[in-house]
Amino acid sequence: MAERYSSFTPGGTMWLLQRITAAFLIVVLAFHFFLLHFVNHADEVSFIVSQARMETLSYYSLMILFLLTATFHGVNGVYNALINQGLTGRKKQAVKATLIVASVVLIVQGVRTANAWAGGVPL
Amino acid sequence: MSQSHNRGLIEDFGRWREFRAGMWAWIFHKFTGWVLVGYLFTHIAVLSTAIPASGQEAAVLQAGDDVYTQTIVTLEELLLVRILEVGLLAVAVFHILNGTRLLFIDLGVGLESQDKSFYASLILTGLITVASVPTFLAGAF
Repeated sequence: MAERYSSFTPGGTMWLLQRITAAFLIVVLAFHFFLLHFVNHADEVSFIVSQARMETLSYYSLMILFLLTATFHGVNGVYNALINQGLTGRKKQAVKATLIVASVVLIVQGVRTANAWAGGVPL
Repeated sequence: MSQSHNRGLIEDFGRWREFRAGMWAWIFHKFTGWVLVGYLFTHIAVLSTAIPASGQEAAVLQAGDDVYTQTIVTLEELLLVRILEVGLLAVAVFHILNGTRLLFIDLGVGLESQDKSFYASLILTGLITVASVPTFLAGAF
């Protein structure tokens, strides 16, 4: 019987959430790249054009969900990679707290940016 | 009967000559993950210039003279940024393809052909990256 190589707790919620966000991000990240590099070219970006997209509720909510899932998936991935490298004890707690704070800052700043374009939640 | 054996530290990169396809897939997935999460923070920092830009006059925004538009335009004028964007695409495409492969493996699909699907991910990443170079470098020269 093979040993488990994963650092995730078997059957744990974080393991499942990492997979669920992965499935979502596969589609949305591909869409994001395609829309902003192939349909619209990055060198043609302007505040007005970005604003027009973000004022649509469907696009705004997709981007907020994208921000939340990408932050969770990325930061949780980093945390587990560090556990793989042997992070334990007090250092593990310190890293966990730092990553949580960094995630909150990123999400707050991302939402502020989206709201700057949309002029608030576009309801 | 299961038997436990000392496999050593799998994360010991000094043993890289012993690594097989599965280990390389694991390393590449970690590496691309680190790059993507690093980029996510940088991306939001650059996009945040939209916050001061939103307070600028409508005429300034219309003319594209606002701080957000000017930041993006200035960055896109740099050839290095365009090349880094191609690298970012390669990293994202590999992470997506290998991640899809991992999700299937988690579901028990393709267990017998894990090596082949890893090689397929690498080849497809290469093809998509090369094919997108003209799009990413358009107007850079």
